[in-house]
Amino acid sequence: MEGLMKTLLRNIKQFMLDNPKAFIGIVIVLSVCLLCLMAPLLTEYAASARVGRPHQAPGGDHLLGTTRMGRDVWAQVLYGGRISLMVGFVAGTFVILMAMIVGIASGYFGGLVDNVLSLLTNLVMVIPSLPLMLVLAAFLDQVSPLVIAIIIGATSWPWGARVLRSQTLAIRNRDFVHAAEVMGESKKRMLFAEIMPNMMSILASSFIGTVIYAIMTQATLEFIGLGDPLSVTWGGMLYNADQTSAMRIGAWWEIVAPSVALASVAIGLALINFSIDEISNPKLKAQRIMAKFRREQNKAAKQQAAAPLTNAEQAS
Amino acid sequence: MKFILSRLGFYLLAFVTAVTINFFLPRMMPGDPIKSFLGRLAMNGGQITPETISALEALYGYSTSTPLWQQFFQYLGSVLAGDWGMSTRFFQPVFEVLGRGMLWTLLLVGTYLIVSYTLTTLLGIYVAWKRGTWTDSVITVGSVVVSSIPSVVMALVMYFIFASNLGWFPTSYAYHPSLDPAFSGEFIGSVAYHLVLPLLCMVALGMGNVMGMRSNMINQLGEDFIVMGWAKGVRDRKVMLHYGARNAILPMITSFAMSVGAIFGGSLIIEIIFNYPGLGQVMFQAMLARDYPLIQGYLLIMTMMVLGANFIADCLLFVLDPRLRTQLD
Repeated sequence: MEGLMKTLLRNIKQFMLDNPKAFIGIVIVLSVCLLCLMAPLLTEYAASARVGRPHQAPGGDHLLGTTRMGRDVWAQVLYGGRISLMVGFVAGTFVILMAMIVGIASGYFGGLVDNVLSLLTNLVMVIPSLPLMLVLAAFLDQVSPLVIAIIIGATSWPWGARVLRSQTLAIRNRDFVHAAEVMGESKKRMLFAEIMPNMMSILASSFIGTVIYAIMTQATLEFIGLGDPLSVTWGGMLYNADQTSAMRIGAWWEIVAPSVALASVAIGLALINFSIDEISNPKLKAQRIMAKFRREQNKAAKQQAAAPLTNAEQAS
Repeated sequence: MKFILSRLGFYLLAFVTAVTINFFLPRMMPGDPIKSFLGRLAMNGGQITPETISALEALYGYSTSTPLWQQFFQYLGSVLAGDWGMSTRFFQPVFEVLGRGMLWTLLLVGTYLIVSYTLTTLLGIYVAWKRGTWTDSVITVGSVVVSSIPSVVMALVMYFIFASNLGWFPTSYAYHPSLDPAFSGEFIGSVAYHLVLPLLCMVALGMGNVMGMRSNMINQLGEDFIVMGWAKGVRDRKVMLHYGARNAILPMITSFAMSVGAIFGGSLIIEIIFNYPGLGQVMFQAMLARDYPLIQGYLLIMTMMVLGANFIADCLLFVLDPRLRTQLD
């Protein structure tokens, strides 16, 4: 048991040294998720109840101050994070599933299926998604977070679909897939056992990319005033703070708290994505290792060049 | 030529799709714009007569008497003729209202595209050349971090620090309201001054392109023709720009075409926060007043701009990539 723990710790340490960016990103995202999940333990207040005087400064009873309505900002950040993160992950899952189905199907089957699906992908891609979302949201009137997630999902899948399609095409023509075909493997097995595992890194990075995009877009939609006023979210907090001109009367904490939360999640996820890129494209990472190697070589060469000189000096 | 024609056909199809969405959405949605308008009217104590209803139907292009497909072709025809309906918020034709905002959005987005793409492409080339060094780590990680900050957050923070608190930059308008539009140094200076902060904000958010250019460039630098260039004794600078960057820049144009919709979308929130009188601001006003004809017109004009940008990107690729030309002939 102890040995197992030791190897685990050693592996974590090795991972940390190899991918410092990924490690920092994971720590940020995990800690924000944990904070939001443990919200009831970390604050005694409810998110949307009047619990204090309006615009109390941070400190004292209210860790991050209160809003104009006398609501506790710290509680709002924690409970709002639950919804904001949930929307991000739901939309991300939706997008990645849609992109996988469309992208892999059109890349794998080719022919007519590919033509139809590619046309559909390109059509949805050139129709700008944010204006489309605004139109949808405007006709639905104020929309709940779940509906926002669905709208984001329905309008944002083409990017991933296109990337996955070209990746499927590239893998489909590799020798090992032809070999599998010749051996008579079933189509299902070929898709899920031969092609899919080679796309894990792309799937992972487009999933994370979409989660970032979804969280940002949700905040944007809510900031414009399309969110449901009854549910507390980070974007909604920004909207309320802006509407009550919190900044003008010096209540900076109302803007800063959700901003920091949003930015840290986005940065954390982006750092993870950055590392996935590096791991899946070894060329990018090899450069870093090579550069270190080259630096050491240069240093050695310089030392060698300097050494005979000192000898010669001594001789003279 | 065939390539250009097929692209044009696709753009026409895309535009018709956007028109179709615009036509069917309001008819599928639970909220009926006419009913909501009547509701507001009744709430404010207005009189509702059959004439009011028919006037509203004419205004929104809605009708319960004509069949749906006929309405659709009527709508399509009027859209193509430039008749996009009346804005219920500004009491002006939608086309005019959008045209006014479009000028400023094109200025903002156009300058952004030039500044951002020049900056990020050059930085990407440089960083790929210096890969593995400290400069590389600082610039790449820095650009990832900066570009991943949500645009709302970035714009709000910049607005409050530099415009609202420090007062270094204006808090609204595209030029000083006391000036009249004229081709004078003072006016142009004022426009430029009002443009700086929104532009800076957008450029910061667009720094992610450095990453794209960097990985394209690194992939190119591993190719044999680069080694060949060195072996021939071509100078470093020339290998970097003419051998590597010349090829690495092609995927950037494709990615520009794919992200142009997001760029126009991104300008929306920037314009709202900085009170810049572009399309985003117009849209915001329209959203607040639930001005459906204007909201629909916004989607149409955005689609048109994205299609236009895509067409430019297609032509650019055609010019820059000789392989594309020979492949098609």
